[in-house]
Amino acid sequence: MLQINKETSGKGLVYKLSGRLDTITSPDLEKELKASMDGIESLELDLDKLEYISSAGLRVLLSAHKVMSKQGSMKVTHVNSTISEIFEVTGFSDILVIE
Amino acid sequence: MQDKDLVTIILEGRIDSNNASKVEESIHEKLSGKEPAKVVIDAEKLEYISSAGLRVILRIKKTNPDLTICNVSTDVYEIFDKTGFTEMMKVERAYRKVSIEGCEVVGKGANGTVYRIDADTVVKVYNNPDAIEDIRHEREVAKLALILGIPTAISYDVVRIGDSYGAVFELLNATNFSKILNSRPEKFDWCVKEFAGLLKTIHATKVPEGKLPEIRNKVIHWVKFVQEYIPKEAGDKLMKMVEAVPEDDHLIHGDYHTKNVMLQGDEVLLIDMDTLAVGNPIFELASVFNSLVGYSEYNHDTLIDFQGYDYATGQKFWHDALAAYLDTRCEAKIREVADKARIIGYTRMIRRTIRRKGLETEELRSEIELWKKELLALLEKVDDLTFHINELNVEADVKYLEDVQFFIEEKLEAVGCPPKALMQINVAAEEIFVNIANYAYHPERGRATVRVEITEEPGVVLTFLDKGVPYDPLSRSDPDVSLPAEERDIGGLGIFITKKFMDDVNYEYKDGQNILTLKKAL
Repeated sequence: MLQINKETSGKGLVYKLSGRLDTITSPDLEKELKASMDGIESLELDLDKLEYISSAGLRVLLSAHKVMSKQGSMKVTHVNSTISEIFEVTGFSDILVIE
Repeated sequence: MQDKDLVTIILEGRIDSNNASKVEESIHEKLSGKEPAKVVIDAEKLEYISSAGLRVILRIKKTNPDLTICNVSTDVYEIFDKTGFTEMMKVERAYRKVSIEGCEVVGKGANGTVYRIDADTVVKVYNNPDAIEDIRHEREVAKLALILGIPTAISYDVVRIGDSYGAVFELLNATNFSKILNSRPEKFDWCVKEFAGLLKTIHATKVPEGKLPEIRNKVIHWVKFVQEYIPKEAGDKLMKMVEAVPEDDHLIHGDYHTKNVMLQGDEVLLIDMDTLAVGNPIFELASVFNSLVGYSEYNHDTLIDFQGYDYATGQKFWHDALAAYLDTRCEAKIREVADKARIIGYTRMIRRTIRRKGLETEELRSEIELWKKELLALLEKVDDLTFHINELNVEADVKYLEDVQFFIEEKLEAVGCPPKALMQINVAAEEIFVNIANYAYHPERGRATVRVEITEEPGVVLTFLDKGVPYDPLSRSDPDVSLPAEERDIGGLGIFITKKFMDDVNYEYKDGQNILTLKKAL
């Protein structure tokens, strides 16, 4: 289960994710991002309530990051320690802006 | 036993010098022209026998060495005893006569009916009028089970009830589980737990070789019968699967349902032991399914007549008892084993119903059709009848990812796995299972097995097995995780994470299976 809460303010977009970002749920986030990223200059993914991420989730983060680096910036916030470890291991901590 | 080699001679009233020669004449008449292997003298109505009468018996014994005198009253037995006849031949005392008039029926099984004759005694009256052999068998196997540690009641006396035989048991204030479920629904969960617990005990009991029949042989007979009624391909597959179930020396009750589990005081007892066998537990689960659901799947009222509770209760009891038996709350695991049990269950029901009732009525035909339809659908998707408590076998499809992870999690939580390791193992499991689901059988479909073993260190070993195309995921080189985003290719990340999170990952291809083993210390 993944819950996606969206907050827009002008050209800024904040997603609060809670639950699991896995093979089953990642396509939902991917679809949501694709539909909303047009013209957005700042994207924040708040992972405070995210409990789980697998490579399928990382893939969505990476493609969002690629899109945003062309049109603005993306940051990932409130990363808990287990998810942080996955970012470390995969080198994502060097790619993503993590706050 | 209607044995043509057996002649029964009935002796009545008084036999002394006045009528001995007449009696002898009539016996010779009965035996003339025959050479029976066995002669039984039924002395139920014999009141007295003098030495003249005894000499007649001795002469018969000379020409017919296998001679038994049965149903001997106490007075007549004393004569046989004093004259040494009890040492020369088999002399059996008369069975005590018991009346069941007005007695409460406390149970009804395939072979007989159980009546309560007083507060602490019940008698099982056998349907078969020549049940002595059945009674002897049941006593023998019940004794064996008791010695092996199964709580059961053993009859201590054989009695006559009219023309039938009965076995007497001591059962103090005992009640069966069907009655508890019907009168005290709040005890449902307790019944489930005890029912499953006793079944586990039975199946964990090893039986010395040669003591009990292997149930698989019986199942093979059922399959042969059912093969006539289903398409050849399905019939062949069914036979192949049954034959592939390995022989097993663990105990099987054979007719395990809620009427055969009793509560006496606070002790749970197993009764109706005449179907005891050894074999794979899936064969037992099949009959558990039949008794709780299968027989009443077409006509739900059947269950109320049989057990007293309704179909919904039967279904829930089957589900919950199977979950408790498998020690899991993983629905995919419960379904996996239920499907296997149902295959045997339908096979048995189709055979039994056709044999006993035929296909004469529309109703019977519809019932058989329903079971056949279910059986054929199951044969499409199942290819192995065995199961293991620490293995989950599912279709290799990402829609079962959650089940796979739940199954693993459950086993890990049971040993107090820390949350961080739990998540790492979960991620690894996802990467591997999703790989199998997406590539192993593509574009066909197939199944995957995940095995969870907790080791002593403590640690966990996860094994993934599939019968898809041989593929070693470890052969792929690791992605360069130091590259900037623009140059990053996302492929290979899953297996890379898996290797990072687990202490050891090993691949082999063996017996037509991809086997990937993941180890992690906890």
